Amino acid sequence: MKIVPFGDSALLVNFEQKIDIVINNQVLSLFKQLQEVKEVTFLIPAYCSLTVGFGDQTSFKTLSKQIEEITSKSQSTDLNLNPRLIEIPVCYEAPHALDMSEVTEKTGLTQQEIIDTHCLETYKVYMLGFVAGFAYLGSLPEQLFCPRKTDPRKEVLAGSVGLAGLQTGIYPANAPGGWQIIGRTPIPTFNPKAENPTLFKAGDAVKFKSISSVEFEEIEKQVSSNTFNLEEYYG
Amino acid sequence: MARLHFLKSGLQTTIQDLGRQGVQDLGIPINGAMDKASAQLANQLVGNDANSPVLEITLLGPKIQFEGQCQIAITGANLSAEINGSIIPQFKTININHGDMLSFGKPVTGCRAYLAINGRWDIQSWLGSYSASATNTAQTTPDSIIAKDQIIEIIRGKEQPIIAISESERPSLSIEAPIKVYPGPEFEVFSAVEKQCFFGDSFTIGQDSNRMGYRLKEALKGYTQKVEVISSGVIPGTIQITNSGQPIVLMADAQTTGGYPRIANVSSTDLDRLAQFKPGDKVRFELKYKPIEI
Repeated sequence: MKIVPFGDSALLVNFEQKIDIVINNQVLSLFKQLQEVKEVTFLIPAYCSLTVGFGDQTSFKTLSKQIEEITSKSQSTDLNLNPRLIEIPVCYEAPHALDMSEVTEKTGLTQQEIIDTHCLETYKVYMLGFVAGFAYLGSLPEQLFCPRKTDPRKEVLAGSVGLAGLQTGIYPANAPGGWQIIGRTPIPTFNPKAENPTLFKAGDAVKFKSISSVEFEEIEKQVSSNTFNLEEYYG
Repeated sequence: MARLHFLKSGLQTTIQDLGRQGVQDLGIPINGAMDKASAQLANQLVGNDANSPVLEITLLGPKIQFEGQCQIAITGANLSAEINGSIIPQFKTININHGDMLSFGKPVTGCRAYLAINGRWDIQSWLGSYSASATNTAQTTPDSIIAKDQIIEIIRGKEQPIIAISESERPSLSIEAPIKVYPGPEFEVFSAVEKQCFFGDSFTIGQDSNRMGYRLKEALKGYTQKVEVISSGVIPGTIQITNSGQPIVLMADAQTTGGYPRIANVSSTDLDRLAQFKPGDKVRFELKYKPIEI
C-alpha cells in the first residue's frame, strides 16, 4: 500500500495495481472505516485504489498516518463484508441485445451459451464510476471476454447490459458508451428520488436472470406506472 | 418575498453552491460552482452562508426582472451587468427595487460571474446540494438549469449593510499567470521530454470545453501512449493525458473515475482562476511542490 498526495485537498491510497477480489476487499474495508472519519469529505473506492478527499481541519501528513494505523490494525479476517445479493432480470433478446451477433463472433459461443454463461456467475460490484450509479461488475468468465466496440455509441439506453474485457455492467442512464450490449434490464439502477439513489454499492453481489421480452415489457410497464415494488431492490 | 423572473436565460445560467461532496463512492460528481472563491464572496456580500446557492452566469448573461425588494451582489467575471440600463459595480452589495431589470452586456474579463441574493432560495435540492446535477437534472435539480420564463422565489433575509470588496482584495482573473499544479499520481510515467513540453508549452482551451472538463487543443509533442491505468478516482483539477497526448483538465462536473494517466492536479486556488478562462484562451502550467512535512 502506498499513500500519495492528490492535489491539495485529497490523497490517493494505491494498493497492488491489479484487479483482484482480495485487493478490492482491502479497498472496501478501508473505505468503510474512513467513512467514520469526520475530516474526510468524500471517498472514491476503485478496483485497487481509494481516493480520500479532506478538509482544512486535517493535512496529508496527519491523515496518512491515520490511514496507516487503520490498515496496520485490520487483519484479513476483518474483511467479512457480508455482501447483499441482488438478482437482476435481463432480456437478452432483440431489440435489446444490440451486439449479440458481434459477441457470438468474437467469443465463438452461441447466443444461448452466452446467456447461460452470463447468468451462471455471481459478480462482485468492484466500484462505481463513469456516470452516477454505474457499477463495474467482475469477473466475467473468460469465455465471454470481448473487447470494447471500435466505434462507441453516442447513446446507449438506460438499463442496457454490456460487456468490456472481463467486466460487465448496466447503464444507469442514457449515456455514450463503447461496451458490447447483450441485453437490457427493465429495473432502474439509478433512482434519484430514493433515499439511496443508486441500486448498487461497492461490495454488493449481483446475479443475472434471463427473462423473455414479454416479461421485460410487463416489468417495464409496472415500473413506469409505479406499481413495481422497487423497495425489494432499493430497500 | 422577492421574485426573479427570467426574461432571457443567458448562454448557460445554472444554480450552484459548493457542491455535493460525500456521495462520490456512488459515482455521483461533486458539481458546484466552478469558481468557488467568487461564489463565496458573492454570498458574503449579501450576508448569506458560504454554501448558499448562487447563479453561475456564463459569458452571456440572463435578463432578470425583479418583483419585490432584495439585495444582490455580483462577483467573478465582468460581464457588463446593468440595472435598468446603467452599469452596476461588481463586488458590492446592491439594493434592488421592485420592477428593476438586471441585464448583461459584453463579456469584458473572465468567463463566469456569480450572482448572490440575500435570503433563502425556494428551490429543490438533491443529496444536500442545490447545484445543478450533471445528469438526470429534470428528476434531481429541476430548478437549477435556468430556462426562459422561469421564476425563482427568494424568502428575504435580514437587510445587510452595503459592503464592497476593493479591487486589490478580489480574486485574480489573470489569464497570463501560469496555473499552479501538483504532480499527479502517474507523474513519473511521463518522460522528461513530455514533462518539459507540459510545463514549457502553452495550451489552448478547446471550444468543446465545459463544466465537466477543459479539453486542451495541443497534444504533448512526441507523446507515446502509456499503459492504461486501472480505473481509479479523479477529482476536479485532475489533469489527464488522453491516448492522443491531449490534456484534459477535469472541472466541477467531472466524472468520479477514469483510466487515463493523471499527470498533475491543479491547486485549489488556481482551479478557481482557471474556471475564468474561456475557450480560445491560452494556459500554461507551473509545477508547485507543496512542502509536505515528513
